[in-house]
Amino acid sequence: MDEYTIGVLTNIGLFSFVALSAYLLLIAGELSFGQQAFFGVGAYAGGMLTALYGWPLPLAAAAAMALGALAQFLVGLPTLRLRGLYFAMATLAAAEMARILFELFHWRRVINGELAGPDGTQGFRGIRWVFEHGIEPIEYLAMVYGLLAVVLAGFLFVERSRLGATLRSVGQDPELAASVGIDIQRVKLGVAAAAGALAALGGVLYAHHNTYIEPRNFDIMLGVHSLAYALIGGLGTAFGPLLGVVLDIGALEGSRVFHGYRMVAFGGLVAVLLVFRPRGLLDERMVRWLRTRFT
Amino acid sequence: MIADLIQNTLDGLGIGAAYALLALGFTLIFGVLRRANLSYGAAIMFGCYAATWAHVNFGAGLLLLALITVAGAVLAGAYVERLCFAPHRQGSAIAAMVASFAVWMQFEELATLVMPTHLYAFPALYEGAPLALGPYTLRIDALAMLGAAFAACVLLWWTLYRTRFGLAVRAVVEQPDAAALAGINVPWVFVRVFALASAIGGVAGYLVVASHGQITPMLGMWSTLKGLLAMMLGGLGSLPGAVVGGLALGLLEAHSQWFLGPQLRDLIAYLLLFVLLAARVPWMNTRSAS
Repeated sequence: MDEYTIGVLTNIGLFSFVALSAYLLLIAGELSFGQQAFFGVGAYAGGMLTALYGWPLPLAAAAAMALGALAQFLVGLPTLRLRGLYFAMATLAAAEMARILFELFHWRRVINGELAGPDGTQGFRGIRWVFEHGIEPIEYLAMVYGLLAVVLAGFLFVERSRLGATLRSVGQDPELAASVGIDIQRVKLGVAAAAGALAALGGVLYAHHNTYIEPRNFDIMLGVHSLAYALIGGLGTAFGPLLGVVLDIGALEGSRVFHGYRMVAFGGLVAVLLVFRPRGLLDERMVRWLRTRFT
Repeated sequence: MIADLIQNTLDGLGIGAAYALLALGFTLIFGVLRRANLSYGAAIMFGCYAATWAHVNFGAGLLLLALITVAGAVLAGAYVERLCFAPHRQGSAIAAMVASFAVWMQFEELATLVMPTHLYAFPALYEGAPLALGPYTLRIDALAMLGAAFAACVLLWWTLYRTRFGLAVRAVVEQPDAAALAGINVPWVFVRVFALASAIGGVAGYLVVASHGQITPMLGMWSTLKGLLAMMLGGLGSLPGAVVGGLALGLLEAHSQWFLGPQLRDLIAYLLLFVLLAARVPWMNTRSAS
């Protein structure tokens, strides 16, 4: 595989994590415009731990995930009782605050005789752990997809379990769920923490793939894209958001058939697709049909 | 100190008037459809770019530019309504919102394709010196924005409360099914509300771009974010609230920019929204279903 293909494939893997975090919240009935913030928290925290404090990447990733989970839990605590657009706007406000705080965040240390670390709007360069440890791009790609496979297996397991049924009932009919004794707020807080951890994991991997991050990477465009990925691909299965990412980054970036008109074509396609499949390509009915077909 | 406060208040009211117009358009659409139109700002940007294009190629004058902006925004708005909202009227609010986001991406790319430079000059509304009021100065374009916002509010009020169309809109907002049974062509009301909202947005976009004297592709996101913020601050779905929210946002920004700088200015606006939402203040109707 050439460098370019590996780069595109790695990006597909990376953005799948944040798409899955948006999907998880959608399943539980919450619309978030703010997953980019937790992706950013993961990127900054993970990058700082490896580049400034010499932590190994796996440990830094675990810490960043914990921080992402905590951050979204704390944002969720006062806002998860809000409905629909109110919750979406609260997450957007939180994410824009996070982006501005990244712009104001300076944490410079001398590493190997050079100043390194987040430098406000100038960004944070030199997150070189992957390079310094002699990991080839193809090996990093395998790492990203290995982690993605673990996360997907987790999703598939949960969706077939009682917990999965609980999540969907909370998402689709909260009154009914509450009447059978489900503590909605507790379920949603758990979902928020898990979504935060997932987005943060994507962020850590993103930072170490790019070696450079800046606050602009974590603006509302990323958040709404994540939401769109989940919705285009389908809300019936965790493979849905993956399909969404593949369609956007893979098919269009990879083949470059549309040249400069990529978003004009893709945007129109998405809007038309949603007319016919408002819950995405792999929606619940499609998943049920596929399941009866192949099992 | 007091002089600064007064000057900031004057400046804040000017930009607040533009926010109020943006919030009014958002609120009209939300009030009727119960859906957030993410491509609202992008449609405004489409109108402004159409005008810039006409200016660069044919040197169109101020009045003509204003007309082109409004017409372009209305046209773009109608496209958004047909593609993203009409098909989802009974269905998923999220699908409509994501579809409108996809169309936003379309407009943004289209703008950069037709007008490839990052920044274009836009003819200023008024070239002369600002009006002096003793120690204070009052920008003429800020006055124009206030005037336009006031005129738009009066016109909107008159349209909604004194015309048959307004009666139909209010009926659709309160009882869509009953309105349809009473013989109101509900889809047609939606199209016209969208056109009205886009026209108001077009006016706001024109005033903002003319007062900045330049246009960049950031305009779409800027208009959408400011409009959403002002609409939410004023209580989702209330027209007087949208005006109050817009003016409050303008005042808040002007004062916090003066005392704390531009980055903290934006931070404070979002922080205020977050705190108000978390506290579930009564005027935001967060307790009712939406």
